[in-house]
Amino acid sequence: MKLAGLKSIENAHEDSVWAATWVPATDDRPALLLTGSLDETVKLWRADELDLVRTNTGHSLGVAAVAAHPSGIIAASSSLDSFVRVFDVDTNATIAVLEAPPSEVWGMQFEPKGTILAVAGGSSASVKLWDTASWRLISTLSIPRPEAPKPSDKTSSKKFVLSVAWSPNGKRLACGSMDGTICIFDVDRSKLLHQLEGHNMPVRSLVFSPVDPRVLFSGSDDGHVNMHDAEGKTLVGSMSGHTSWVLSVDASPDGGAIATGSSDRTVRLWDLKMRAAIQTMSNHNDQVWSVAFRPPGGTGVRAGRLASVSDDKSVSLYDYS
Amino acid sequence: MASVYIPVQNSEEEVRVVLDQLPRDASDILDILKAEQAPLDLWLIIAREYFKQGKIDQFRLILTEGSSNDIDEYYADVKYERIAILNALGAYHSYLAKTETKQKEKEDHFIAATQFYNRASRIDMHEPSTWVGKGQLLLAKGEPDNAFQAFKIVLDNAPDNVPALLGQASVEFNRGRFSESLQLYKRVLQVYPGCPAAVRLGIGLCRYKLGQLDKARQAFDRVLQLDPDNVEALVALGIMDLQANDSLGMRKGMERMQQAFEIYPYCAAALNYLANHFFFTGQHFLVEQLTETALAVSTHGPTKSHSFYNLARSYHSKEDYEKAGMYYMAAIKETKNNPQEFVFPYFGLGQVQLKLGELKGSVSNFEKVLEVYPDNCETLKALGYLYTQLGKTDKALEYMRKATKLDPRDAQAFVGLGELLISSDTGAALDAFKMARTLMKKGGQEVPIEVLNDIGVLHFEKEEFESALDNFKEALGDGIWISFLDEKEKLEETGVSVLGYKDTGIFHRLTESGHSVDLPWNKVTTLFNLARLLEQLHKTETATFLYRLILFKYPGYIDAYLRLAATAKAQNNLPLAIELVNEALKVDDKNPNALSLLGELELKNDDWVKAKETFRAANDATDGKDSYAILSLGNWNYFAAMRNEKRNPKLEATHLEKAKELYTKVLTQHNSNMYAANGSGIILAEKGQFDIAKDLFTQVQEAASGSVFLQMPDVWVNLAHVYFAQGNFALAVKMYQNCLRKFFYNTDSQILLYLARTHYEAEHWQECKKTLLRAIHLTPSNYTFRFDLGAVMQKSSSSTLQKKKRTADEVRSTVTEAENAVRVFTQLSAASDLHVHGFDSKKIQTHVQYCTHLLEGAKVHREAAEREELQNRQRLEVARQAALAEEARRKAEEHRKNQLEKRKQEDELRRLKQEEEKFQRIKEQWKSNTPGSKRKERAEDDDGEARPSERKRKKGGKRRKKDKSSRVRHYEDDEEETATMDDRNELEDEDANTNYNREEDENQDTEEPVDDDAHDLLAAAGLEDPDADDNDDEVRASVARRRRALSSSDEEGELMETSQPNSSPQKENSPARQDEGNVEGEEEDANLDEEED
Repeated sequence: MKLAGLKSIENAHEDSVWAATWVPATDDRPALLLTGSLDETVKLWRADELDLVRTNTGHSLGVAAVAAHPSGIIAASSSLDSFVRVFDVDTNATIAVLEAPPSEVWGMQFEPKGTILAVAGGSSASVKLWDTASWRLISTLSIPRPEAPKPSDKTSSKKFVLSVAWSPNGKRLACGSMDGTICIFDVDRSKLLHQLEGHNMPVRSLVFSPVDPRVLFSGSDDGHVNMHDAEGKTLVGSMSGHTSWVLSVDASPDGGAIATGSSDRTVRLWDLKMRAAIQTMSNHNDQVWSVAFRPPGGTGVRAGRLASVSDDKSVSLYDYS
Repeated sequence: MASVYIPVQNSEEEVRVVLDQLPRDASDILDILKAEQAPLDLWLIIAREYFKQGKIDQFRLILTEGSSNDIDEYYADVKYERIAILNALGAYHSYLAKTETKQKEKEDHFIAATQFYNRASRIDMHEPSTWVGKGQLLLAKGEPDNAFQAFKIVLDNAPDNVPALLGQASVEFNRGRFSESLQLYKRVLQVYPGCPAAVRLGIGLCRYKLGQLDKARQAFDRVLQLDPDNVEALVALGIMDLQANDSLGMRKGMERMQQAFEIYPYCAAALNYLANHFFFTGQHFLVEQLTETALAVSTHGPTKSHSFYNLARSYHSKEDYEKAGMYYMAAIKETKNNPQEFVFPYFGLGQVQLKLGELKGSVSNFEKVLEVYPDNCETLKALGYLYTQLGKTDKALEYMRKATKLDPRDAQAFVGLGELLISSDTGAALDAFKMARTLMKKGGQEVPIEVLNDIGVLHFEKEEFESALDNFKEALGDGIWISFLDEKEKLEETGVSVLGYKDTGIFHRLTESGHSVDLPWNKVTTLFNLARLLEQLHKTETATFLYRLILFKYPGYIDAYLRLAATAKAQNNLPLAIELVNEALKVDDKNPNALSLLGELELKNDDWVKAKETFRAANDATDGKDSYAILSLGNWNYFAAMRNEKRNPKLEATHLEKAKELYTKVLTQHNSNMYAANGSGIILAEKGQFDIAKDLFTQVQEAASGSVFLQMPDVWVNLAHVYFAQGNFALAVKMYQNCLRKFFYNTDSQILLYLARTHYEAEHWQECKKTLLRAIHLTPSNYTFRFDLGAVMQKSSSSTLQKKKRTADEVRSTVTEAENAVRVFTQLSAASDLHVHGFDSKKIQTHVQYCTHLLEGAKVHREAAEREELQNRQRLEVARQAALAEEARRKAEEHRKNQLEKRKQEDELRRLKQEEEKFQRIKEQWKSNTPGSKRKERAEDDDGEARPSERKRKKGGKRRKKDKSSRVRHYEDDEEETATMDDRNELEDEDANTNYNREEDENQDTEEPVDDDAHDLLAAAGLEDPDADDNDDEVRASVARRRRALSSSDEEGELMETSQPNSSPQKENSPARQDEGNVEGEEEDANLDEEED
């Protein structure tokens, strides 16, 4: 299990790159890399040369999250002004603009079958679910609020949803919040199942194992990556090594490894059997906001790819084998 | 029974005097001698007898009488005897002088002796025995050259004079010319083969000194053959045997010593050697007996000194330091305080004083040893240690360095050197420890755990974590920790986390599964350091496990509790952290570190009153000597001063004053305490003394660089604050950015806020906006950033609109900005209905209203600007087209003229040629006219086509609002109208603004009585800013503003208003960081202590 740098684009955006995801391959084209930046643009890149396919404009106040529909046809991008723009990947035609005031927009993810878009709703302490056919708000999953929030504590203790993740079978939805708790929902019944504990600092990134729907990985500002049993409500393990916040976690398609991006400017690859970091990439020189494994599929593309984006304005691509 | 007979004068009778029954009163004898005019040789015999019996006074009486002037007259013809008497007296005084210790008496005796010898010489210049006596006197006086001359005179006349030869031999011996001495002794032997054994003793000693040990031994053996009871020879042989330094030699030597002792129990040398032997065999009782005897029998200084030394050593080894010290001192006294003579007692005394804590005395004694043996490593090391204790590190270093240089294989010296250097030069300390380690390994010694631990810690400090880890591992050796370090054991499977710190089950499980969870006490410190290192390497789980192991085995190890608490705190688990600290306090409820940490946690938890009490308790627990506790109190006071949003100036001043007092207190205790210096700097800055504050901060910043345990980002921030307050925005920005990057991986949104404020003051709106967006991205739940973002966009758009000249693009982006501002504020007002964000909805509402208003104004502006722009362009276009048309017209005109002329010429020709054919002429005229008119029409068409294409390009330039172009086209006809409209719009705009301001003022007025806060907040919201304020900006005294910029609820800096109370010179982190350093520092102290023991 190993990462090898393939290509790196300096100044891929005019400012910090905050979000990245892979748009799955369609019949006509291979998978593309989608990145979002503080420069208010969203860019599409073609692997392995990272050729710029298109630059989408229209957001203001910095693009904080991007998500791609499993079909690879549509994608969504959101910015700090709390608008979500849904667009056609190949034509850039706007399909919908979503907002659910006063809820903000943070992490986003399409349901694995593609029928729902889940959006982390910040201070609304909820996850908003949007139907991908009608683009209507179909559900709001709220997380429990603390009984008596301290009036003096302005930043940390109140509930604020930052990140979301769907289980591979689409039955469960996990959301991470500023205070470090992770809530697991039964989506079909719109019911909160339980809260997972272990972090006490913001959980900025969540991902389910693609091979075991019970296993959830979470990255937090406490510098740890925790491994939870999402059904059994237990903390399976905790992996430390990053010297600062863990900003992003993604699981490899084979389920054998996870990659993390951190404020400590590194990308790390973790072997899940050894539960230890086996490789540290230090090519970025500022916070690594997002890491993303390329989903399998597409014509004759077997090789694993990992992309990372950073505050240093660059986008990097690695071979994962 | 020996007796002498004194002949009775004038008769045949004799008085029989039994020599061993001499009367006690010598005057009886003297009377007889005088009365009977006894021959002088009898006088001498009797005097000698007295002397032998130790009756010195009688001896002196007789001899003095025998050398008196009467005698001289009476026995004028008896030369030899008179000389003999004088010589005897001279010899006596020489002896006295030799043994006398007091300088003055010594001199007196020498003078007396010289006088006697001189008198003897006056009687007969050539008497050899006088010369011999003189020679010996000179020898005793330490003038071997003169003595040599004296003996030579004798020998020149009588080369075989035995006493002179012996004297000369002695001279040579004393001069260190042993071979010459040997020759002389040999001659004596030739001249007088029957001489006493003592001569052979001389030969033996010479041989011994010459290193001819075998021959010396032969000589001593010969002495013993001749005189089996010769103690000196026995002792000499014994010494030689002892020096052979093997067990056989030792035994033989000791046998000889014993023999000597049996023959003559009062030979001090033998006694000393025996004592020495018994000292080494540990029979201290015998040592004391022997040395006491030796002391009793000997008057010889060096020998006595030796005896005292033996005695002292005996007590020393029995750890009776008082007595040992006394005897060492006696030994020193016996050598007349001359370390050159016998230096060991100084060393011993030094050691004893070291033990007794008389460091200064000890130093002076060791220094004396060093005078004699400047290269003695032991002494150098001892001195090195002493100077360390006395705080004279430089000297200590010098000695230690010398010791290591002299004996580069002395591992102990390197350890000492390393310990010395630890506090001053960690790099060199590390080298020294490493050297020691290598030496010990080479020597096959086991490297002490302390040394490895120190090497590890030093590597740790230099951030060489790998090497640190290796050393800690080596120090710890085998144990349960190895399997965890090598990740053979899965921590996850054993279920380790801070959460379950009380669960000892895992250790029982480990024991059951065949692991040993032993932890020897001497490894605890190293294990703790290892855990600390793992923490640094972010292997938190393993570190946690190790801390728990320590606590499992040693529940009183407070530091482990504190580290666990710190781990919990780092993960923001405050309740657990507090619980852990309380566990530590159960062990020791006065532990200042635990109390400080608790206070820190309570502060984080917003328990202000509790925190203060805890800090007080910490301070009391250390009698106000612990800088950390005082600092914490100082910080508390500072925070308290800054905390209150409705600032009570009186309270603030008292808190600040108290804080200052506390910082100063720390500084007087430890003038190099950086945290206190930092604190003082803050107070100074708070009072507006920026230059001094800056100097302080700069110094602290310099001092803080270079150690992994000394992370002081606060001072960077503070320095940046000072730059900011002094209006040096560029430097402030740089300082903030460097701080963010160096210490926080750019993750600290609070510093980003400071950065944004700086950009704001510098009116770099875009940078400010970007910075705030980053801050929001980092801390999404902090709504103050959003508020500030809105405020910045509001300010930036309003300031763009103020500009006299602006492009349509600028105005357009201003509109977007204003739209965004409206959205941000709207969202905020919606969100603030749900939660408490620290600012009230009314204020946001006013912002929303204002921004909406601004937006409306801006839209009009935009339209106007766009219109104007378009008009400008169209005006240009029209002008260009006009020019084009003109040109075309001119060309057409020319063409026509040309043609006309041409035609005229042709006509002329034709008229001339074909005047007659009139009908045909008219026809031709028609034909030539038609093409010309057609051409003109075409030119006009071209112009018509050019227009729309131009317009299209213009439309392309605009991004949005396609309908505009049509409206623009409409206006294009009437330029004047647009101009007036523009004016009117602007007027309206300004009116609106002023109205708005008035409204706001009213708002403020009405709100003021209701709530003090509201006024502050509103004022702080920067709502007075929009237009009027802007104009004032330049006018306003910048100093005043800058001064205020440092305080948190600044009236006009809306950025500041919303920030936390601690937003002014930031230091909330300092106790936390210092705490880490603190704990570690303590730890190292502990290490050092252990090793010193």
